[in-house]
Amino acid sequence: MKLSSMRYLTKEGIKNIWVNRLMTIASIGVLVACMVLIGLAMLISFNVDLALGNLEKQNVVMVFFNDKNSVIYADENPVDADKVTDDMYLIHNEQEAREVIAEIEKIANVEKGVEYISKEKALENLKESVLAGKEQYFDFLDEEGGNPLSDGAKITLSSMENFEKTVEKISKVKGIDSVQSQADIAKTINSIKSGVSVAGTWIIAILLVISLVIVSNTIRVTMYNRKLQISIMKAVGATDAFIRIPFVVEGVVIGIISALLSECVVYFCYRLAIDTIMGTLGTTQIVEFGDVAWLLLGIFAIIGVIAGIIGSVVMISKYLRKEGSEFSAI
Amino acid sequence: MDLTFQSAPKPIIEFNGVSKTYNSGTHALSDVNIQINKGEFVFVVGSSGAGKSTFMKLIMREEKANTGTIMVNGFNLTKMRRKNVPMLRRTMGIVFQDFRLIPTMNVFDNVAFAMHVVGASPRTIRKEVSKALSLVGLGHKARSMPNQLSGGEQQRVGLARALVNSPDLIIADEPTGNVDPNMSYEIVSLLSAINQKGTTILMVTHDHNLVRDFHHRVIMLDGGKIVADNAGGME
Repeated sequence: MKLSSMRYLTKEGIKNIWVNRLMTIASIGVLVACMVLIGLAMLISFNVDLALGNLEKQNVVMVFFNDKNSVIYADENPVDADKVTDDMYLIHNEQEAREVIAEIEKIANVEKGVEYISKEKALENLKESVLAGKEQYFDFLDEEGGNPLSDGAKITLSSMENFEKTVEKISKVKGIDSVQSQADIAKTINSIKSGVSVAGTWIIAILLVISLVIVSNTIRVTMYNRKLQISIMKAVGATDAFIRIPFVVEGVVIGIISALLSECVVYFCYRLAIDTIMGTLGTTQIVEFGDVAWLLLGIFAIIGVIAGIIGSVVMISKYLRKEGSEFSAI
Repeated sequence: MDLTFQSAPKPIIEFNGVSKTYNSGTHALSDVNIQINKGEFVFVVGSSGAGKSTFMKLIMREEKANTGTIMVNGFNLTKMRRKNVPMLRRTMGIVFQDFRLIPTMNVFDNVAFAMHVVGASPRTIRKEVSKALSLVGLGHKARSMPNQLSGGEQQRVGLARALVNSPDLIIADEPTGNVDPNMSYEIVSLLSAINQKGTTILMVTHDHNLVRDFHHRVIMLDGGKIVADNAGGME
C-alpha cells in the first residue's frame, strides 16, 4: 500500500473518532471502566503482597500466659469466672510471669529484654489503636472482670532462621497458654493472599472478557451505522485491508486514549483510597503509585489496543463478506 | 448497418448461458446470452422481478452465476476469486438509485474517496476530482455536504464519483429513480456525453420516456429471460 494511502487511511480513522464521537465516548467509557477495575484489583493485589512481605520480615512473637482469663475465655472448655480456682491456672501474678519470661530468655535465638505486657496495658493498647474514638461503646471493658485479655509478653527473635523451632520451644515453656507468632499471621495472610490472588485473577479475566464483549458490541453498533460507508467502499473497489485500516486506527487510538484516561482515574482513586486508609488505620507501608505507574500504563495500553484491534478486525470481517444489497438487510 | 468490413467490436460484457437461482429457490435469470460492446450505451428495462437487479449484480460480482460464463472488462467472473473482486470494480463506475454518498464527507471528499481507493496521488486526486465535478456542473459545490444538495445534485455527485477514475464501464442502477423528470433528462444527457467519449454505459431504468427519447440500445428482461434486444432504441 502506498504511503499516501496509508496517510489518508490513518487520517480517516482519526477523523472517524470525531465524526462518530458519541460512539467514541461510549467505547472509551466502557474501556476505562473495565481498565480502572482491573487496575484497582491489581493495586490491591500488589499491596497484599507487600503487606505479606513485611509481615514475613517481622520477627516478633507474642505469648499469652496461662492466667485466670485464659481459663475463663479458653477456646475449649471455658470455665465460669466464679467457678475458677487458683489451681486451675499457673500464672497468678506478675512475678510468676516474669519467672516464665526468664525461662523464655534462656532459649537460643530469643533476644534479651522480653517485654512483659499486663492485661491492663494490653487493653490500653487496644483502646489506643483499634477502639480509638469509640471508647464510649466499650465501657464494660473497664468494669470489674470486664477485661477479657490475658497477661502476655512480646518476644523478639534474633534471626528468622529456625523461627518455627524457636516458636515451638517457647510454646512448651510451662506457664505459656498460647503463642501468637507472625508466622501464624503470615500463614493466615498467605491463605488470604492465595484466595485474593485466585479471586483477583478471575475478576480480571471476567472484566477482560466483559470489556472485549462490550467493545465488540460498541464497534458492531458503529459498523451498523457505517454499513453504508463499507458498502460504498466495496462498490468502488476498496480491498478488505483498505476498508479495515481506518477502523483499526480508530480502535488503536480509542485504546490508547482509554489507557491514558484509566491511568489518571486509577491514580486519583488510589490516592483517595490511600489517604483514607492512612487517615483511619495509620497503616505504614503501601505500594507507591509511581513504582507501578508504567506497568499499569503498559497493561492498559495492551488491553486497550488489543480490544480495539480485535473489536475492529473481528467484527468488520463479518461485514466485509456482505455485498451491496445485503447491507440493507443487516 | 453492415459491419462486415469494419473491425469486429470488442465485447466489454459477455453472458453465455448464464442462469442464477437464489438459495430461496427464486429463478432470477435463466440461460441468458448477451454481448455488450465497448462504447455502447444500453438501457436495461423490465418490470419488477424481471431479473434486472440480478443481471447488474452478476456484472458487479455481487452475486455468482450458477451456470454459464460471464466476462466483464476481460475478467472471467465465473472463476474470479473473492480477493480479486476489488480489481474488477475499479474498472467500472457505479451509480446508485439512492446516491449512496457518505453523509459525513463533503462533495469533494465523496468523489476523492473513489480515487484514494485506487491509490492515486493527492495531486492527481485534486486535479481529477475538480475536473469530474466541473463536468457534472458542481465545481462550485465541492465543499458542500450531501444534505445541503438537492436529489439531482446528489446524483450528479454520484456520477462524478463513478467517472472520476475514468472507468471503461459505468453501471447506473435506476439513477433517475429519485430525481424529478427534468433532472432525469439532465442525468441521462450527462451519461450520453460521457458515452460519446468512449465509456460504455449500462443503465437500468423504469422510465420509458427516457428510453424513448434517447435512442440507445434497449435490452428488455422478463421472467429472467431477455425478451427483446433493440439496437436502435424503443419507439
